[in-house]
Amino acid sequence: MSFPNMLYGRVLKSPHAHARIKAMDVSGAEAMGAVTLTPEEVPDVTYCPRLVSIPSATYKDWKVLTDKPHYVGEAIGAVAAESEEEAQKALEAIEVDYEVLGASFDALESMKPGAEPIHDEIYLEDDLLKVENNVGCQLEITEGDPKALEDADVVIERTYRTNRRYHNQLETKSVMVRPEADGGISVWSTTQTIHNTRLLLHDIYGIPMGKIRVYKVALGGSFGSSIHVNPVVNVAVGLALKSRRPVKLSYTREEDIRDHCAYQMIFKLKLGAYKNGKLAGGRLEAYLDIGAHQIQAYPLLGCVVGWWVSLYKLPYKDYVGKAVYTNKVPSCAFRGYGNPQISWVVETMMDELAGKIGVDPLDFRLNNYIGEGDIFWGQGPSVKSIIQSCGVEEILTRGAEMVDWYNRPNPEEQTGRYRRGWGVGRGYHTSSAGAPVPSSIVDFGGAMLKMNEDGTFDYVSALMDHGCGTQDAHIKIVAEELCVTADMVNIIRADTGTTVYDVCTHASRGVYSGGGAALKVAMKVKEKIRDFAGKILDAYPHAVRIRYDEEREQAVVFAEGIEGREVTYREIAETARHKNWGTAAAVESYRQPSCPPHFTGYFVEVEVDTWTGKVKLLRVVAGADIGTVINPMLAAGQVHGGFAQGWSMTVLEDLPYDPDDGDLVNRGSVANYKVPTTMDMLDLDDLTVFFADTYEPTGPFGAKGIGEGALNPVAGTVANAIQNALGVRFFQLPITPIRILEALREKEG
Amino acid sequence: MTINKVNTHIVPIEFEYHAPGSLDEAVALLEKYGEDAKILAGGTDLIPHMKQRKTEPKHIVNIKKIPELACIEETPDGIKIGALAKLRAVELSPQIREKVPMLSEAAGSIGSVQIRNLGTIGGNICNASPSADMATALMALEATVHVYGKDGAKEYPIAEFFQGRSDVSLERGELLTGFTVPYPPEGAGSAFEKVGWTTFDIATVNVAAVLTLKGGKIDHCSIALGACSPAPIKVALAEEILKGKEPTDEVLEEAMEFVAACVEPRKRWRRAPPEYRRRSSQALAMDAVGRAVEQARRHQ
Ligand SMILES: Cc1cc2nc3c(=O)[nH]c(=O)nc-3n(C[C@H](O)[C@H](O)[C@H](O)COP(=O)(O)OP(=O)(O)OC[C@H]3O[C@@H](n4cnc5c(N)ncnc54)[C@H](O)[C@@H]3O)c2cc1C
Repeated sequence: MSFPNMLYGRVLKSPHAHARIKAMDVSGAEAMGAVTLTPEEVPDVTYCPRLVSIPSATYKDWKVLTDKPHYVGEAIGAVAAESEEEAQKALEAIEVDYEVLGASFDALESMKPGAEPIHDEIYLEDDLLKVENNVGCQLEITEGDPKALEDADVVIERTYRTNRRYHNQLETKSVMVRPEADGGISVWSTTQTIHNTRLLLHDIYGIPMGKIRVYKVALGGSFGSSIHVNPVVNVAVGLALKSRRPVKLSYTREEDIRDHCAYQMIFKLKLGAYKNGKLAGGRLEAYLDIGAHQIQAYPLLGCVVGWWVSLYKLPYKDYVGKAVYTNKVPSCAFRGYGNPQISWVVETMMDELAGKIGVDPLDFRLNNYIGEGDIFWGQGPSVKSIIQSCGVEEILTRGAEMVDWYNRPNPEEQTGRYRRGWGVGRGYHTSSAGAPVPSSIVDFGGAMLKMNEDGTFDYVSALMDHGCGTQDAHIKIVAEELCVTADMVNIIRADTGTTVYDVCTHASRGVYSGGGAALKVAMKVKEKIRDFAGKILDAYPHAVRIRYDEEREQAVVFAEGIEGREVTYREIAETARHKNWGTAAAVESYRQPSCPPHFTGYFVEVEVDTWTGKVKLLRVVAGADIGTVINPMLAAGQVHGGFAQGWSMTVLEDLPYDPDDGDLVNRGSVANYKVPTTMDMLDLDDLTVFFADTYEPTGPFGAKGIGEGALNPVAGTVANAIQNALGVRFFQLPITPIRILEALREKEG
Repeated sequence: MTINKVNTHIVPIEFEYHAPGSLDEAVALLEKYGEDAKILAGGTDLIPHMKQRKTEPKHIVNIKKIPELACIEETPDGIKIGALAKLRAVELSPQIREKVPMLSEAAGSIGSVQIRNLGTIGGNICNASPSADMATALMALEATVHVYGKDGAKEYPIAEFFQGRSDVSLERGELLTGFTVPYPPEGAGSAFEKVGWTTFDIATVNVAAVLTLKGGKIDHCSIALGACSPAPIKVALAEEILKGKEPTDEVLEEAMEFVAACVEPRKRWRRAPPEYRRRSSQALAMDAVGRAVEQARRHQ
């Protein structure tokens, strides 16, 4: 994309993990003809870039440009010039004088007394808060009688550490901003939410909302990295307003990898079980390494406990979660929002507990899982609902049969170079953050639908599609309800000015929640069509029926059994126009009353080369309960992608820091950030996906989500398979060849 | 500090571009500009290095217009491969597949098809990376390099070409024109092995082996190891152990000790610690020698 007269922006980033800027000299850049932007030139607003929670649950500690950077890569200035090359040269001509401050790169170190304070003060809504021990926010919850855990026959307590992962989405964070003649701006950006982008730009720049138009742009992927408004957007707006010219700002991959990542978490988990195969209770301490800023870590603290307690029935549960600042790239949501991390830990420990009490790990899961009729609060303690559809048992028993689970290898009997193992793991994710009562999380969407004069439809929605086919699923829902073919429903390019509010495409809510809005407008429009048809046919609107006529390529409304009393959509729309009845159209907002979990389960077979430590995938069986499957190919695609991402999380990905200079060890090189290619994955013939036969009463046509549940159990499953092959458990991710050889050396010499 | 400077997207440096049509023209340019000039072949190493500002040449000398440098042909002394032969061509060449299949195997292990369609065999060697896959393979095959400079052509064994990490023995004005890869002895078996974190990854360790059997015993034997020292090396001690012996598990294991002993740890080895390289170099050498033995047995 480009505009005439457009400038190219570049962001000046802090090379220090923690510093104060004493002076910044931009004269060199300006002498080259570049437009520059310094911290004094942007509004002095402290904000939170993620606006999914309500204000009273939103902690704020960000600036558009800061004079006290807290991580290597934080934006401290910007330039815009006629070409990217010129902008780059101008960037290098800026001189900055820093006072370098102490820094911390580990959550546990950060909390120690005497550690350098990263933020002295932050805001909760509009109240100033003092930060103590670098803990940005925390949450504690206890339910049940602690005696339950004390009475357990077996108790295991362990510390686990997850990896830090980069989203590695297709396009780097990018934005184009065009200042408009009326003082407003038009914005095209990588975002999962156009309306929250507008909200934030309004908050920061004070431009009236109607004059900020944020346009939907097709994305190739995001995985949660643009639920929040990416920092480039706010900087580019500043450049465009100052230069009064369109500005394009697109991060290089090296900048992008220092812009966002998943939360690294340290867990101390204690779980107890009785000899009869039932869980007694547990205690979880979770330390979230949030990096240098909060991107709504508070709701994540709620989700972490929610994900934990909604996997298995725990008569007693005790939780402390802390979001800890470190001088690293700020962490944000990444497919699963903490669920892949906690599921890895729980699924690892479930296997270990099962071993200790002498139950098969699969039976142990079947004994304890949370399913239909149980209270579910995956999205945190403020989002509770009752589970109305559950395919866990079907997934586990069918899968077990397919892989001959009960005859899997015994690790103690394996001694050769290559060793094989099977692992099982299960999980779920919520579909949206809907609930019967309001919570601290905003979750509603909306849509507009109108019938055109030829009997086709225009569908307008603010909901973003990240390349997952979400809008395609909406079209199918609308077409199904209106008895037309999918190609008769058009997706209209839209922006904040032409759509009603939708919170965000995240939390696996695209089909369940967004599709719920689509169904609602389709039902409304159908009602109007019935009314119009009733008038034309001289029939009762509630009595007419609708079918699709393939010959005429039109939906037909008819009074059953009465010959000649039928009319096509096209005729209805034409008549409505000629008789001035109006358009059959509807615009609606919709809130889901629940956030039903979609359940998933995996069986994975691996082969470990004990000489090189390499783990090879042999076979995968995946079961998913997603209610009615709206598009089987796309749903299976979500499972394939979820599995690949989970596999990568388990054996490859990490973003270690170099404490000497506070930068990533890979120095931003994505070539040194390993993810599997198609050549590293198993053949799709060896990856079987099956869907459980369920129906979600609250979902559109019985549907639930799939995006995140597809990923969540993978790390636990793969780790269990590696354990089954080697007889060794790993308490740190990723399980790399290097770590495998180290562990084997320790075990076998 | 590199964060505001290094990226793989923008090349903000200015340079003059030359595209000589003959070797002599190229040599004249290289003579004239010396350190300021860089040869451009496939560009898969050079261009990323320029973007990363590891090098900021004032002159780029594109040698792809020189016609004779991309050849792959059989000669009495061996297969002659021009420096500009694409990795993909080396991988797919019927002559190479027939006469020195291990070289084709090694070429096929590099990066992706896209990279192999751009990258050249000469660039792989001149880049002087310790993990260059062609380098390890050519070492085991005991290739000869051909160099051209102001005094004309010269040639020497490839082992003399490497001068340690990131350095080759080219002098001002010289360029690499190609290789002669001698035909392995009759009935030879050979194999190339590498371990990286993904199939797209450069090698954490690579090993190439060529050997023949005589009466069930190893006769000719050549093993090269890459990514474990400043430049790929021949593992002479392991070769000596194996020669004249039957390749039993015990013999192989004994030889492998010497492979592991060749690992020369670097101070900042980010990819993998020495321990890992020792263990996996043994494993890969076992695999390579094992496969080569099987092949040689089949050829008997
Ligand atoms: C994504 C990716 C993956 C890769 N994977 C691998 C891998 O698995 N294994 C591997 O070994 N390499 C790998 N590489 C590195 C690279 O692709 C190879 O080394 C390739 O062979 C380089 O050849 P080229 O023609 O592109 O070299 P260029 O980039 O053109 O040149 C490389 C260097 O050699 C010099 N040079 C080139 N030709 C000559 C000549 N004839 N005489 C004198 N000097 C010369 C150049 O000046 C330059 O300094 C990878 C690279 C990338 C980008």
